[in-house]
This record gives sequence, structure tokens and C-alpha cells, in this order.
Amino acid sequence: MLTILFSLTLLAQTSEVRGKVSDESGQPIVGASVVIKGQSTGVTSDATGVFVLPNALGKQIVVTAVGYDALQLNASNNIQITLKADSRLMSEVVVTGFGGATLKRELTGNIARVKSKEIEFLPTPTVDQALQGRAAGVFVNAQSGKLGQAVTVRVRGNSSISANSQPLYVLDGVPITSQSQSSYGGAMNPLADLNQNDIESIEVLKDASAGAIYGSRAANGVVLITTKKGKAGRTNVSLNLQTGYAEATKRLPMLNSEQYAELILEAAKYSDDKEGIPYNDPYSYTTYVKNDVMDYYSYGQWSKDPTKSYDWQDAVFQRGPYRQADLQIRGGTDRTKFFTSFQHLDQTGTIIGNNLQRSAGRINLDQKANEWLDLGVSMSLARTLNRRLPDDNAFSNPLQAIALNPMTPFADPKTGLPAGTPPGDVNIPLYYNPVLTVDYGKFTQEVYRTFGNSYLKAKLMKGLIFQTEFGMDFLSQNEEGYFRSETVRNQTSAVRGSGRNTGTFITNYNINSYFNYNYSGKKSNLSTTLGMQYQQSQAKYNSTSGTDFPSNSYTKIASAATKSGGSSSQTDFRFLSYFLRANYTLMDKYIVAASGRLDASSRFGKDSRQGFFPALSAGWIMTNEDFMSKIDFLSFLKLRASYGIVGNAEIGDFPQLGLFSGDAGYAGNAGQRPSQLGNDSLRWETTKQADFGIDFGLFNNRITGEIDYYEKKTTGLLLTVNIPATTGFTSVVKNVGKLENKGFEFVLNTQNLIGAFKWTTNINLALNKGKVTDIQGQIIQGGVSNMNRVEQGYNVGVFFTPEYAGVDPKNGDALFYKNTKLPDGKLDRTTTNKYNEAERIVVGDPNPDLIFGFTNNFSYKGFDLSVFFNGVRGNQNNIYGMGRYSSASMLYEDNNTADQLQRWQKPGDITSVPQVRLYYTNGSQASSRYIVDGSYIRLRNVTFGYNLDSKTLRKYKIEKLRVYLSGQNLLTFTKYPYWDPEVNADSFDSNIAKGNDFYTPPQPRTLLAGINISF
Amino acid sequence: MMKNIIQMKKTSYIILAACALLTIVGCEKRLDILPYQSISADNALESEGDVNVTLIGAYDGTQSAAVYGGDIMVLNDLIGNNANITFTGTFAGLVDAYQTIMTANNSFAAGTWIAAYNTINRCNSVLSAIDKVTSSPAKKNSVEGQALFLRASMYFELVRLYGKTIGDGDASVNPGVPLVLNPTKGVSASDYLPRSSVKAVYDQVIADLTKAESLLPATNTIYATKWSAAAQLSRVHLMLKNYTAAGDAANRVIKGSGKSLNPDFTKLWFTFINNGGANPAEYLFSMTVTAQDGTNSLNTYFGRNVGIAGTAGRSDCKIKVAHIALYEAGDARKTHFVLSGGNNYTRKHLDRFGNVPVIRLAEMYLTRAEANFRNSTNVGATPLSDVNAIRNRVGLASLSAVTLDDITKERFLELAFEGHNLHEAKRLQKSVGANAWNSPKLILPIPQREMDVNKSLVQNSGY
Repeated sequence: MLTILFSLTLLAQTSEVRGKVSDESGQPIVGASVVIKGQSTGVTSDATGVFVLPNALGKQIVVTAVGYDALQLNASNNIQITLKADSRLMSEVVVTGFGGATLKRELTGNIARVKSKEIEFLPTPTVDQALQGRAAGVFVNAQSGKLGQAVTVRVRGNSSISANSQPLYVLDGVPITSQSQSSYGGAMNPLADLNQNDIESIEVLKDASAGAIYGSRAANGVVLITTKKGKAGRTNVSLNLQTGYAEATKRLPMLNSEQYAELILEAAKYSDDKEGIPYNDPYSYTTYVKNDVMDYYSYGQWSKDPTKSYDWQDAVFQRGPYRQADLQIRGGTDRTKFFTSFQHLDQTGTIIGNNLQRSAGRINLDQKANEWLDLGVSMSLARTLNRRLPDDNAFSNPLQAIALNPMTPFADPKTGLPAGTPPGDVNIPLYYNPVLTVDYGKFTQEVYRTFGNSYLKAKLMKGLIFQTEFGMDFLSQNEEGYFRSETVRNQTSAVRGSGRNTGTFITNYNINSYFNYNYSGKKSNLSTTLGMQYQQSQAKYNSTSGTDFPSNSYTKIASAATKSGGSSSQTDFRFLSYFLRANYTLMDKYIVAASGRLDASSRFGKDSRQGFFPALSAGWIMTNEDFMSKIDFLSFLKLRASYGIVGNAEIGDFPQLGLFSGDAGYAGNAGQRPSQLGNDSLRWETTKQADFGIDFGLFNNRITGEIDYYEKKTTGLLLTVNIPATTGFTSVVKNVGKLENKGFEFVLNTQNLIGAFKWTTNINLALNKGKVTDIQGQIIQGGVSNMNRVEQGYNVGVFFTPEYAGVDPKNGDALFYKNTKLPDGKLDRTTTNKYNEAERIVVGDPNPDLIFGFTNNFSYKGFDLSVFFNGVRGNQNNIYGMGRYSSASMLYEDNNTADQLQRWQKPGDITSVPQVRLYYTNGSQASSRYIVDGSYIRLRNVTFGYNLDSKTLRKYKIEKLRVYLSGQNLLTFTKYPYWDPEVNADSFDSNIAKGNDFYTPPQPRTLLAGINISF
Repeated sequence: MMKNIIQMKKTSYIILAACALLTIVGCEKRLDILPYQSISADNALESEGDVNVTLIGAYDGTQSAAVYGGDIMVLNDLIGNNANITFTGTFAGLVDAYQTIMTANNSFAAGTWIAAYNTINRCNSVLSAIDKVTSSPAKKNSVEGQALFLRASMYFELVRLYGKTIGDGDASVNPGVPLVLNPTKGVSASDYLPRSSVKAVYDQVIADLTKAESLLPATNTIYATKWSAAAQLSRVHLMLKNYTAAGDAANRVIKGSGKSLNPDFTKLWFTFINNGGANPAEYLFSMTVTAQDGTNSLNTYFGRNVGIAGTAGRSDCKIKVAHIALYEAGDARKTHFVLSGGNNYTRKHLDRFGNVPVIRLAEMYLTRAEANFRNSTNVGATPLSDVNAIRNRVGLASLSAVTLDDITKERFLELAFEGHNLHEAKRLQKSVGANAWNSPKLILPIPQREMDVNKSLVQNSGY
């Protein structure tokens, strides 16, 4: 009160205050906010920590900066202000959804927060990829090095079998379309339309207490993305430019011509011997291999020069340039605040024919209309243009070129055109030359995406706010492909050209309306939320395709003589939900929170339309108790526990209905067929989750951390229950089945060195153990050769296949363990060379046991260095997709991996590679031979930056100028034999089919140089 | 609290009211939405039109690649004719079939099983609602006959692929395939059926085909006719060694259908490239392929782009030179091969959108000839004149006498690579390579997925 009086007396004086803000070591603090107490506008300190605040002399000013304790003091000229490092742990605010925000220290649920600083300007085109290794318990697998492809994200393990297990993405309050909308080349990622540099923070709601407010949609975790808002103060213009290039992280050693010839002749010899054919017989395997394989596919070159060799990886990998420009302008007054951004990204893939471009603009505007009404809008427009690659399981997938014979030259020696281009022999090479699809074909996906949300926020009375939001996510996509006649060997419809054009229009509306009531008493605080949400999504699709074009100059369907296909279709879903949340804090020590949501959806059966999802949680800040205050080293300690029920409604649209479909026409006449068996009681999957956590801070919060233990039990799993195919159906969807996930999460942040030379370390590590506890005997399988399987007692999607027992030293036969059950219950460990005698067993798991991220940040004067590792352990990958052809003891004419040189050759040889046998299967059946360790540690990012001296810069009116070098995926430590352990072939991807490699492109290694200027 | 609200500004009330309104807008009824491309199964079969389009759906099922789209024929030739084919494809299911080392996980064995029963369910849906067809008795008979014909064809293919051959043990004991004769509306314990005996399945097939032959019209554009049913029946009886019935059925087709052998053998093929998609008259039943719909699997695996526009294929099945040597000089069929990239390919399946012949008239002559020869009868014609009819059509001179071997050799050459050889070998009790005619390796496995799901099934021996 005295202060206010004092301020009032000085009100008449108008003079500015200059000052400097620094930390305890004397280093200037950049961007500290300095405001006169009671006012909303102020200034920020510049790169040297200096600020000039008008009309402030003698007034109380408040100085705040992220990571430091706020300071309130009386302003005097040339004031030197020293801020102390944040002593109140977790003073940061965490977004909890529907207008909710809570101090991290008072949080009773588990929410991982990723701040913009950690992910800004990384060369990862999608935001989910940027989360990788940054949040404990969030597993991210980029799946492939193709640009803009779908990414696997699992929060605290896989909690579903048949339904989608990806988290719900909520952008500024709007649940956005995040499922693939691709009709070509594997699943793509609709998050690619979001400029991740617009993001202020990402909150991952992991436990039931945090997630229950999203009810039937929270079982896979909820990712809340909040974009940047305007700030009162001077307008800040920031320009970031970066450029560089990307290359594939690895090349795979393949056989060269001489090695290939050695192996295939040896294999042919075996087959000739087997069939008693003389080697020089015109119809012998040997003659065939020499004439019709090696000579034929090399245009006759092999017999002239058997040493000439071509690594087809050279033909399909490339160095891809990367360019990105970002402009962000941020500012405002106490009534109007704005943030606006523009981005252009142009990224060329490391595989030929792949390119991604994005242009995006955003404006976020917040307006104080009057003293009780705020309103605002956030809006982003983006165009993403992706020149896509075929899916992994296509002959036109460029990486399948490694199957081609190493003696096949890249170009037809007669025509100089790529091998297999007409008028040359189109049956050379061995398989279709995928380079032709890049040279003579094109498939582009062009997306226009609008994310928007407008809101009205009314202060109805003290503490009571009503907010209503209308949000939308419009996805308008055009896919266009044209394949010239040169590609006809692959694209059989392209005899005279083949084109197609597909449109996808998804309009997704969302309404949130809710009341927030906050009460702050002397000893207690209460905050409550009550509201409703309605979401309506409509997806419309249409497509046309045509063949027989006048010439290759005509590429649109308008010119196609034959309209070979056309379709339009639509699917909708709707959700109507009511929710409630209350948090109560007593004496800054005891916190209880409750939340619940009532969800109804068009996806559920008529007998189970509505579900209720409640959660309860509590926290105890022990360090605020008197008896703890004496423990000096302990700065903060909180215990918390939560329990709740959430659901998974990502079960597709209309799974509950018994249906006939009208897609069964024949010879131009319309037809219908029974297409789905119904289930009136079909509903969401239910996950009950308990979480126990400790948040702590030690040594004046130099060390802070979190430890969590959780148990998630999912029941009513939607299973595509296999039924006898004799019914005319192969499956019916039912809520049967149970699984569970249990795990620990550790987060540790340390300030190892403070002072001029700063060093901080952040570690997050999560252990998860998933187990399917009941699938009622269903056989659920998928992936390459149906090797991924759901087995009771194991994690979802384990590899189930016979166990390889190596090679019989006597005869080079591949051996398998029988593993049949003996009367005593043990497995028969004798081996057999008869594949059919070997039982399938669980030999691997594509889900990691342990995931971690490890970041070290160093800074000294103007220099900063960030080194970020992430890794996974305990998972296996399945390389059978490619291995059956390319690590297959020369079963086929495909080129083989160089490790096949270790094959068995004579009695007594000890090796794991069976004898080579042309067209006689020897060990290339599906087995644990092809299930390999997928663990890796990857140096995900290193960024080295330098901030130019601010005194010099100020002469040019530049606030900040930073130059930096950044490298992505620089090193990978792994035992994985193929390209990239972080893999999942798009052609086989499903919720249970993970960890498959099928000529899947590896991740890019990206090197960038960047410059960031702020005015 | 109430007091506070009353003190609020008037405008706030308006806003509050608007908010409340927005909150109520979403009413439960909005959640009652239906799919667009599908309709409820409860009202899918309510009218004659519904039944008619479901019959078309049954043809669509029959046309799926895994059954009469061609996989059945391809499997027949890869397993049963591997002496004449060099298979260089990479589909593991076919490689294993070709090498007769199939496992219970064979994807083609599973695919054919699933697609056949899916088609059977479509047929059963038609038959269950046949009373809705009221426009005319003839129309009703036609629809019913077609559904019975398609269902019987599926069961016939299933029982001979997945069950033991007639003559190999006791057909009334040997397990055939489960018999499902009603459409599935939901799944209950009664849907977990055991395998009916081989004989029971054949009995059903004969009953269905016999009824179909009586109900079907003599002409029916591209769809099944009386003659399609009779021709299929002749095949069934031949398989069962009921030579009289086989010969009679074949004779009914030859005499009654009004169809004749196409004078030019080479014109029987390339239906899309040369014939605008129309069938030659000789086809008794075929699957129509168009650029928009349908697959010709025979083309997929036997075909190849040989430089003629419209030809395509995976070039997986290369015809051995030794096979071509089996044809006499001057035989139009001897030159019905094309040498491309150093290998020979049959010209029968080069056309990418070529229709898939299921039964053609030439087979009926050969069936009648064999039946008459074995029975020492001359129903319709002498065996010699029937064989000569086939020979003369391809430019070969008439024989003066025939033996059983002459008839079966002519049959083999005429119908080569049309998907007959496995069952021919079994029927004639000839070994296939190293496998005796009744080797378990020549019988497809009951798909593993089916064994896993349905505990009342027994697996074939060797799997």
C-alpha cells in the first residue's frame, strides 16, 4: 500500500530510466522484461542487457526473465540489476487444455513440455519428429528417410492393437487431422503442413489425470501444440536463413561384379549338380546364368570385362540441397498483440526424385476489446508440395535398384539412356530400373492447409471467465501423377502414358465453450473448468485416372483417350463431449485435482454411445513443510499420484455397422457385396492408468528432476477378431482383449557449470514394458510375411517365426530349431533342415524397452554449442523383406549383400550363411535369421553458434546476429546390418506391424549453415 | 455469487446467453450419421434390384484374382505342370507351389480359400433373397441358376485343390471343405464348421450344377448359361470318373449350345487387344476383364511385354523348349509361343486386359471323346472324329485311329497353360515330377489362419 502511495506521488515526474540486467556472474541477460509495476507494457533488455524504460524514474519496476527469479525494485537511473537463477523450481507454466494452465510445481499429473527453443530451426520437416528424444516416455520413429512421410509416435508404449496408437494432436485448442491422406507412396504426415517454428510450446499429456479432459481420445496421449503469441513492447523482427545439404546416413555394402559372378556361378553349379545337368549344357543353370543373366543384363559387357561393376546405390542416392527462410515479427501494445511469421522451406531428398517444399504464413492476434472482453484469432495458411517416392514395396522404389546385377551399367550403351529405356531392351535390367520412374514419371502431392481458431473470452465476474472458440482445420489436397510410356514395365497401364489425379478435402470444425473459475484465497487456490466440445470432420475424396495420351507432352486426364478410373467417396465422424476439471491447492503444500469427460461419438455402437472418463490426482509439496525446511541441499520435493480412465476412439469411422458395399461391379455392371459384420455394442478402448511421481530440486535447483512410475491397463481392446473365412468374412471388430504397459520415466536437468562458461545437461530416459494379457486366442498378424504378431504374454507386434539355427557344417544346409513342445512342456531344441518341421516362436520385439534423450548445452561469451543424442534399446527389426532376396544365398538372380560371401562352401565350414543354391531355397525362409537388433544411439543434432558482439551490432540497429552450423543425424552407433535401424517400411506399416525394413530409405544426414538476425 | 452476477453489465448477459446457446447447439442427434459408400446390411436385400446387383457382386467375387481371376489356374499349372514351365517369379507362395514345397502359410493357398468363400457368401446372399425376384419366373430362374453355378464352381475348385482326389482313399471319409449354404449375418459357434467329406462336397456341387443347368437360360450375354453349368458338370463328372455322365454333359453342350470351334485357334486369345473385349464364341464361361475392373492373373504371371501394345506381365512363367517340341510340325499351337529376351512365353496370356477363359468348347470335344472311348460308346460322335475336330482346327491332319493316350495328349496340348494340369495328373494318376499323383505335396494346405481360428478343422497331411 505504501508503495502505491509512493508511486502516486511520483506520477507527475516523467523521466526515463536506463539500466542493465545481468546474472549473478555478471553476464548480461538478453530479453529480460522490464515493466512499471501495475502496467502491462514495458521494454525488454537488448543483447547487452541494457534497457531504457520511459517514465519510470523512482517507480517500482518488475524485472522478469525466463529462468530467473523475478525482481521488484525502485527504479533509478543507470541501475544495475542482478537477477538470481530461478530458485522456485518449475515456475514455468504448463498448458493443460481448455484454457487451463498450471504452474509446473503445482502439477499433479504428468505432462512433458518441449519449448520452442529446443526445436526451432531444426531440419526436421514435421513437429512430431522434432519431439524425438525431447520428452520422456515419448517414442518417435521417423520410419524412413523419405520427406514428409508418416512418423510413428508412441506415448508410454503401444496401448492398442487394431485401433490407431498415435497420440491426439491439438493445435491451439483444435484437434487436427493427423492421419495420412496419401494415395501413393506410403503414408504421409499431415503435420508437415505446420511450421514448427511457429510453436511456443508442446505439452504431451501422458497420464490419465492430464489426459482425462480429452476422454475417449486420450489413451495414446495428447499433444497440445501452442503457437507463439504477440508480446507487448517494441516490435521484434527476426530473420533466420539456413542452407545446407543432406545425404543418406549410410551405404550398404553389396557384391561387386566379380563377387556376384563368383556366387551365382557357385549357386548355379549346385543346382546343375542337383538336377544332374552338365554345366556346359545349353539348358544348364550355369549356361543360363552366364548368358541370360550376367551377359544379357550387362548388354554383353560382362563376358568382355567381368571386372566392370556398378554400385546401383550411386544411381539412386544423391546429395540433396536444403534451404529455409523464416521471418517472424512479434510485438504489440497492451491492447493488441500480434505474432506473424512466414516460412519457405525447400528440401531435396537424399533419394532421387524426392523433394518437399513448404510455404507457410501465420498471424496470431489478440485484442483486448474492453475491460471484460478479449478476442483473438490464430490463423495459418500453408502450401506443402511434396514430390513423392513410390512405396517401399514397389519395383520403382529407387532403393530396390540394389537388387539389380552389379554388371548392369546405369545407361544402355547403345542409346546412352538409363538402362531399360525404350527403344533399348526394356527387359534389361533384371527388374525394372527405378530411375525410369524418376526420369519419366512424377507424382506430386500438393496440400493447402488452413489452421484457424478464433475466440471470445469474457470476464463475467471476478475469477469467472467464459471462453468460446471456433476452430477449423481445412485440408485440401491434390495428388497428381503422370507416368510416361517409358515406365511401362513398372506401370503396366502406361503403354501410351498413364495419369491420375486425386482430390482430398477434409473440413474439420471444432467448437470449445467453457467456463474457467479461479479463486485465490489466503491459504488456498481453486481453479475449475466446465465446458463442452463438439467436433465434426468430413472427408471427401475424388479421383480420376486415364491412359492413352496423344504424346508425353500431354499429362492431364483431359487428354487421356481412356478414362480408366474415377471415384468419389466420403466419410464423416463426430464427437460431442462435456468436461469438468477442478484443481485445489491448500497452503501451497497439498494439491488435489479431479477431471472428467463425457464423450459421445458417431463411431460407437448404438448400445454404447456414451462414455464417462474420470481422473483424480493429488500432490504434496514436501519442501513447503516446516520439517523439511532444514534440509539445505533439498530445494524442492513433491510427491504426486494420479489415477484415471481414458479411452481410444481411433477405431475408424463406422466400424460398428453391418454393411453392404457398392463396390462390387463386374464388367461394367453395378454390384454390391456384404462388406462388414456389425456390432451394436462396439465402443472405445478403455485405459486405466495410475501414475506415481516425484519432482525434486537439489542444491538450489542446480539439479532438478522427475521420476515417474506408471501402469496403464487397457481393456476392451478393439480387435479385428479373425473368424473362419468360410463365413465370407475374415474378421469382425469386437471389444475384447487386454494389454498393459508399465514403466519408469526419469528426467534430470543439471546446471553443471554456471558463470561465464555455462554447461547444462538434460537427460530423459524411459523404460516401458508392454504386455498383451488377453486376446482371447485371436491370431493377429501383419508386417512382412505376417511375421509381426500379437501374442499373449508379449508386447504388441512381436516377431513370430521359426528360429534359425545356423548352417550345418556338413552340407551347408540351413538349420532351424524345431521348438516343438515336448511332453514336459519344454521346447525341443534339436535342429532340422526341413523348414516345415520348425515351430514359430517369439524371436524379437519391435518395441524398444528403453528410450532416451541426452542433451548438453555449452555457452561461453558469444559461443554456444548444443549436442543432442537420442537412442533406443531392446528392440529388433525385421529385415526379411529385403533379406529374402538380397541376403538369401543367391536364391534368385538379385544382387546380394556383401555378407553373403561368408557362405558355406565345403564340409567343415563354420558360418551362418548357408550354401548358395540358385532357385533352391536354403535358409531364405522367414526365420529369426532376419530378425536383428535395432538398438541405436544417434548423434541427432549438433549446433554450434556464435552471437556477434552486441556493441558492434547496435551501430547497425541490429539487436542480435547469430551465425550457426547445425548437423542432424551426424553419427549412428548400431549393430544394425542394413541402412538404418530407425526404420519401418511404409508398405507394411500398421499398428502392430513395426520394425520392418523393405528397401526402406535411411534417414538423411543434414548439414546446415544458418544466420539469425533480429532487429 | 448470485449477487455478483446480477451486478454484471447487461452486455455480459447477452454474451453469456450466446455462449449458452453455442453450448446447446451440438445435440446428440448429430451423432447419428451413416456411411456413404455402404448401406446397412439390414436393408441391402429388399428388392429384386438388390438381388440382381448382389448377383453381379457374386461375379465380382468370382473374378477376384485369387479364384477365377486366374490364380486357381496359375496354381494348377505351377504345381501340376512344372515340367513344362521354368518359373522365375519371386512371389514366395508361387515359388513354393512350383517347387511343391508349400507350407501352411502359403499366401496363395490362403488367398484362394478366402476369396472362394467370400464369393460363396455372396452367392448365398443372393439365394437367401431369391423370393424377392418377382418380375418373371424366367428371371428368377436365371438369377438362382447363376448363383448356384458360381457357388458350385467355387466348391468344385475348393474340394479338388484342398481335398484328396477321387480314387485316393475313401471319398466319403476324406475331408473335403466346410459346406456353407446360408449367408453370414453374424458369427456364432455354428460358424466354426468342420470339413465336410469330399463326397459330400461333390454331391452338393452336382446337385447345384444340375439344378443350375435346368434353371439357366441358353444365352445370357457374358454371364453363365445353361451350357456353362453343363460344361462345369462334365468336368466334375470326369474328375469323379463318371464317364457316362461326363460325356453326356459334354454332348449336351456341343449339341445344345449352338457354339462351334473357332476356325482359327490363334483368334481365341487377345480378346482385348484384337476383339474389343468380346469373347470368341467358343468360350462357354469366362471372366470379363476391362481396363476399369478385373485382373487376369494368368497374364500377370505368364504374360510379358513382348513389344505388342497392350501386352504386359511379370514374365515369371517361361515355357520350356521341351514343351514346344511336343507339338507336331504344322500345329498352329506350336507357333503360339513368343521368344523374348531369350525365353519362350505362351501367347495365350499376353493380353493385359484379356478375358480369362474358364471353360471353352474344345474341352467338351475332348471330354466327350475320352468318355466315349472309355465306355466304348459313340454318344454324339466317335472319339476319333472329336479328336480330329480339334486337330483339324489347328492345321493338323486327321488321325485314322485314336488311343486313350492320343486323347489325353491332345487334351494336354490343347489346354496347356490354361490351368488344367494338376487335376489332369491327379485324375489320370500320373506323377508330377518326383511326386506321385496322390502325393500330399500336390494338395494345398488348409490355410494356417483358418487352422488357427477354427479348431474343428483338420489339416491335410504333410502340413
